[in-house]
This record gives sequence, structure tokens and C-alpha cells, in this order.
Amino acid sequence: MKRLIHAWKRRPVFATGFVLATVVAVLFALRSVSMMIYWSDPDHRDQSIEGWMTPRYVARSWHLPPEVMIGAIGGSQMPDPRRPLNEIAADQGITLLELTTRITDAAAIFRDQR
Amino acid sequence: MADALMAMVPQYGLWLIALVTFLSCLAVPVPSSLLMVAGGAFAAADDLVLSTTVFAGFFGAVVGDQTGFAIGRKGSTLLKKMGTGGSQRRILFERARNFSANRGGTGVFLTRWLLSPLGPYVNFVSGASGLGWAKFSFYAAAGEFIWVSLYTGLGFVFSGQIEMVVDIAGNISGFLAATTLAIFLGRLALRPAKDQLQGELAPK
Repeated sequence: MKRLIHAWKRRPVFATGFVLATVVAVLFALRSVSMMIYWSDPDHRDQSIEGWMTPRYVARSWHLPPEVMIGAIGGSQMPDPRRPLNEIAADQGITLLELTTRITDAAAIFRDQR
Repeated sequence: MADALMAMVPQYGLWLIALVTFLSCLAVPVPSSLLMVAGGAFAAADDLVLSTTVFAGFFGAVVGDQTGFAIGRKGSTLLKKMGTGGSQRRILFERARNFSANRGGTGVFLTRWLLSPLGPYVNFVSGASGLGWAKFSFYAAAGEFIWVSLYTGLGFVFSGQIEMVVDIAGNISGFLAATTLAIFLGRLALRPAKDQLQGELAPK
């Protein structure tokens, strides 16, 4: 501690930088711990459907076959697969929530049938 | 903003990822790790091709490193002037130059991926402190390849949990970078004055 105070007088910029970097490192360490607790809960690991996701992306992360996905979105074939869900919802004149509800309902039915 | 960028990945993925890795090598705060992980995840869903996604990120990062290095080199005269300023600035300047000369390659390599938050600043310092271009380019490219492959690969493997991956990776690299910086600055603060006079100011 004495050395630190001495260093502070002699080289204030380095000493201040050292303290700041240490504080930041401690914050990151604390955040890591809180995150580990958060992600260790399996409920948090199922990623909810969001507007930026594409149909194929959701199909993959929810383990749904393409035909279930196509049925849920409506229509006979996959719309341009690289379009995100919020654009697909806008095309159909529905809200993103309505579209995601259709997908989650279809996923629930599919999982029941298995 | 992150969501809007994510929605653009499957459509403009390669250009977007190259642009973001380019900017992040120049200390512009863009969510490069998020977009690389997203690129990997979209590749897993067949919306992108894995190899071209990795290549795009790698290409942007290499060009970004070269740009940062060139900026540092251009600014080296300015730094030299700064190096004659106050004693702390002089120590920092000398220290950076010694480090570049002795362990510059390792430093460049590790700050690409393991300590990536420090990467852009090391680019500028490497250019300014006269690290050889060929040496810099070799270690920078090798490190960037690991950085891009690592994040894209994590996204590919954990495509359903990219939020988790980005959170964890961001925290680990933030912690390691802050710890390294604290050790570096702590050593500079505690270094004895005698050594400073004899070692640092002696003509090379």
C-alpha cells in the first residue's frame, strides 16, 4: 500500500490507469459470475424467437423440420429464406408477435405429435 | 441497433462482416464478435456458407490491421515529439518501443484473439514504434485467423444460443484484457526510478 501511494505521487498517470484497469477487471469478473448463474438455468438457454431471425435459423435452433416451419409461416413454400421474420410479418400485414405465436404453436403441436 | 444489424447478416452477411471486422481493428466500437457469431449461426442454418463467412471476417480484419499499422507509422513523428514530453510519457513511449522490438510478434499475435480488446491500439503502436512490416503482417494475420475462426466456429456450434456465447466470450476477453493492462500499468508505476534513468534513456 505504501508502495502504491509512493508510486501515485511519482507517476500519477500510470497509477491511476492501474487502479482503473483493476476496477474494470474486477467488474468483468463479477459479471462473469452472475452470467454463469444466469446461463446455468436451462430455461434461459432456449432462445426466444426474435425479428432478426430467419425461418431456417429458427427451424434449426428449435429443431423443427422445414415443412413445419413453412406451414407455420403460411404459404406452400419457404418465402425468400434469407429474409428475417420481421420483414415476413410486414409482408403478410401481421405483427411479429402474431407470426412468432404461429411458429411456437406449430412447434408445440409438432412436439406433441412426436 | 444490434437487432437491425443481425437482421442484415443473412442478406448482406459477407460485406457486413468484413466491414465490421475492418472497423473493429481501428478501435471503432462495432459489435464485431456478435456479428461473427451470428454469421457462424446463420451458416449452421444454411443461410450463409461457413468458409466464405470466415474468409470475409478474415479479409476485413487483415485490411483493418494494415490500415491501423499504416496510421501508426504516419503518426510516429508525432509520437516521437510526445516521447520527449513529461517523464511518464517518455517511459510509456520507450516501454512500447522496447516491447515491440523484443516481444512485438507475440504481442501482436495475442492481441488479435486472446486479448482482442487491446488489438487496435497495438496496431497503432506497432506502426509507430517501428516494428517491421513483414513481421507485423505475419503475426497479425495468424492471430486474426484464429480470432475469426474462433468466433464464427462458436456461432456455428452453438447456433441456438448465440446470446450466451457472445456474453461469455465478451466477458472473458474483457477480463483478460483489463488484467493485462493492469499488470502492464502497475509495473510501470512501480518500476524504480534508477532503472528508468539508466535503462530507458541510454542511447540504443
